[in-house]
Amino acid sequence: MYSRILTGSIVGADAETVTVETDLSPGLPNVTIVGLPDISVREARERIRAALINAGYRFPSKRITVNLSPAGSRKEGTHFDLPIAIGVMAASGDINTEEAERYAFIGELSLDGRVNPVQGAIALAIGLRNRGVERLILPAGNKQEVSILKDLEIYPVEHIAEVEAHLSGFQPVMPYKGRPPKSPVGSTSTSEDFADVAGQECVKRALQVAAAAAHNILMVGPPGAGKTMMAHRLPGILPAMTYEESLEVTKIYSLAGQLPASDGLVTVRPFRSPHHTTSATALAGGGSKPKPGEVSLAHFGVLFLDEFPEFQRKALEALRQPLEDEEITISRTFATVTYPAKIMLVAAMNPCPCGYYGHSTQKCICSEHQILQYLSKISGPLADRIDMHIEIFPVPYEELIEGGENNCKRMNSMQMRSTVEAARSVQIDRYRKENISYNSQLTPSIMEKYCPLDRESKQLLKMAFKTYNLTARSAQKIVKLSRTMADLEELENISATHVAEAISYNRFFTMGNSYEKR
Amino acid sequence: MKNAKEEMPIREISLKDEGFPELLRAIKNPPSTMYYKGNLNLCDTPCLAVVGARKATPYGKWAAYHIAKRAAEHGVTIVSGMASGIDSCGHMGALDAGGNTIAVLGCGPDICYPRTNRDLMNRISRAGLILSEYPPGSPPLQGQFPARNRIISGLSYGVLVAEASLRSGSLITAGLALDQGREVFAVPGNIDSIYSIGTNKLIQDGAIPLADVDDILDLLGIREIRSSKKHRALLGEDEEIILQFVTDYGSVTLDRLCMISGKAPAAVGALVTILEMKGVVRTSMGKIHVAK
Repeated sequence: MYSRILTGSIVGADAETVTVETDLSPGLPNVTIVGLPDISVREARERIRAALINAGYRFPSKRITVNLSPAGSRKEGTHFDLPIAIGVMAASGDINTEEAERYAFIGELSLDGRVNPVQGAIALAIGLRNRGVERLILPAGNKQEVSILKDLEIYPVEHIAEVEAHLSGFQPVMPYKGRPPKSPVGSTSTSEDFADVAGQECVKRALQVAAAAAHNILMVGPPGAGKTMMAHRLPGILPAMTYEESLEVTKIYSLAGQLPASDGLVTVRPFRSPHHTTSATALAGGGSKPKPGEVSLAHFGVLFLDEFPEFQRKALEALRQPLEDEEITISRTFATVTYPAKIMLVAAMNPCPCGYYGHSTQKCICSEHQILQYLSKISGPLADRIDMHIEIFPVPYEELIEGGENNCKRMNSMQMRSTVEAARSVQIDRYRKENISYNSQLTPSIMEKYCPLDRESKQLLKMAFKTYNLTARSAQKIVKLSRTMADLEELENISATHVAEAISYNRFFTMGNSYEKR
Repeated sequence: MKNAKEEMPIREISLKDEGFPELLRAIKNPPSTMYYKGNLNLCDTPCLAVVGARKATPYGKWAAYHIAKRAAEHGVTIVSGMASGIDSCGHMGALDAGGNTIAVLGCGPDICYPRTNRDLMNRISRAGLILSEYPPGSPPLQGQFPARNRIISGLSYGVLVAEASLRSGSLITAGLALDQGREVFAVPGNIDSIYSIGTNKLIQDGAIPLADVDDILDLLGIREIRSSKKHRALLGEDEEIILQFVTDYGSVTLDRLCMISGKAPAAVGALVTILEMKGVVRTSMGKIHVAK
């Protein structure tokens, strides 16, 4: 009158195994679920009772105690329905217990006995696989997403009767192998090409540099300069995701319940552009039951924040830790979870509240004070974590025309991407022994080892210090950027030209003072 | 707080006193009493007023700073109103040259307005003079600022307007200067720049344009001390090429430079940065200019 069934429970971005113990004992008919279930788990008993009866099984009129072990951690989610139901059936003898113990189960039950898909299936499956589970019975609705796991046998079911038939050997369910992914890993979704952008070659160059080592970048310019247009074309020049990267992104999307039903693996690098009214919680992740936020949903991809200073201060400052640590830890009453957040931040902003400061034809109506206040919304620590600051201005009409006539070489996304891919593989090779993959992740301690500067470069850096009033932190950013510049040309040594270009991407926030002080 | 400031007492001088600045006494409605902090004798040195808009472009700030610096290097005292923008740059130029400067405030001489100029005010009171017709403790009220402009021009032989849009307060100062019989100088700007319409109009109305930073010396009748050496000799071949293009075009965008020079954006970006650090060109608002 006792059974043990294996299932899992989500803890942050990971999952741990949970054993569903079911005991039937004589007494008043009653179902008690213990082991810190939350409401969604406690409600399972109503669904299970109805599902079993409507599927034609009996629901034992006994005193039923279900323990979710380890009993000390909180459990939530509707995927406990199926394992508990199987536990009840096994305990009452409807199912062969030994056979059932070979599998793990997840699934939500409908009142007629159908098995509905659940959120976070891939995260559960990965967690269970890592803890030695080899066979998983899961809702058919989740089979596509979980089939991407290469070393886990999955048995998709649509109805609880299929589970019973499978376990009794009456009508076995065939393990699902999954169809080969529609699109090969690493395809780019975007149909937008940099070749469509007339002029702005220098901005394209800057974005290419940023993409080459996932440097965070801030674009400042009046409306209509093309900031958003450029940002949207960025994913098109990012290199393909590896299988491991894909898996991790899929896991986060599954946890957030944002995985499209038809798709298995997320194969395209995420590009997230939350609106500027987004709250700090939505951006960073959180809630009383923590969910990944935009910064985690952009993991291995691009987080694009348009109208950067219009975001709530709280929301922006929440980005500081993830930008530094590449993960975000959320602590709430019920749980402390850590989500990965390895992102490339792309921010865009106007130079002043009205937007036209520095525009050649439109008059700016902001006062000096307003402009300063607007810029000060980007706090120093945040600006410091953004490696590149570039200015972008509308292309004058004459240049648009000339650019077309002179058939000047417009870079297109394909070319840009292959350069970026080459530069990235150079970096991955170089940092094989370190715990990082790209220049943007270089820490001061190892920077000297990988970014030696020759005399001329050092002189240039010294000059920049004086001219632009640089801080020590911006000097480090310049060195990192110079390394990327050299990698784009696949050169081993950083030269003065690289440093000079890197300096040009670090001028903006020192601009205001530079002329007065010179 | 009070004690720290004791070193720099605020003194008072009235129109009837002997030490009252002579040039200022001669204007139509001189202030009856003035409150000051610092060296009042500066009023009797040759003074040049440097004024302009609070919201200025890097070009205007650059002009104000360098003209003030050049003049101050040659013993001219720079007078201005310590507002943000052009005024601050004028003071800063004079201070950086180790020269003299006078700030005429529209509030009490103990009040710092705008507050962001706290550092500047300290520097001026140590090395120059802070002057006001309003007693200590007077708050900065709107009507007081145009009134103090007559003192700025009254103290000076000439008034230089570095940058002004059409309805700028510095045009009032220029008007007052004319009434008082002072010279008016103006820094010309691009005629498509709304920040230079005021100064260009002044030139149209007869103000003396400055074609070069050093012009200010000729106009004030001062012999130039040749001290600064030119960087030009230090330029590399590619840098010369880029500089030539910038000189030819006057002001040019980075993209256009790429187009006409046939070089990659990466190379042009690097060269322009080097040129800027060498002080030969300036970038502002996405355009590159020749620095004078």
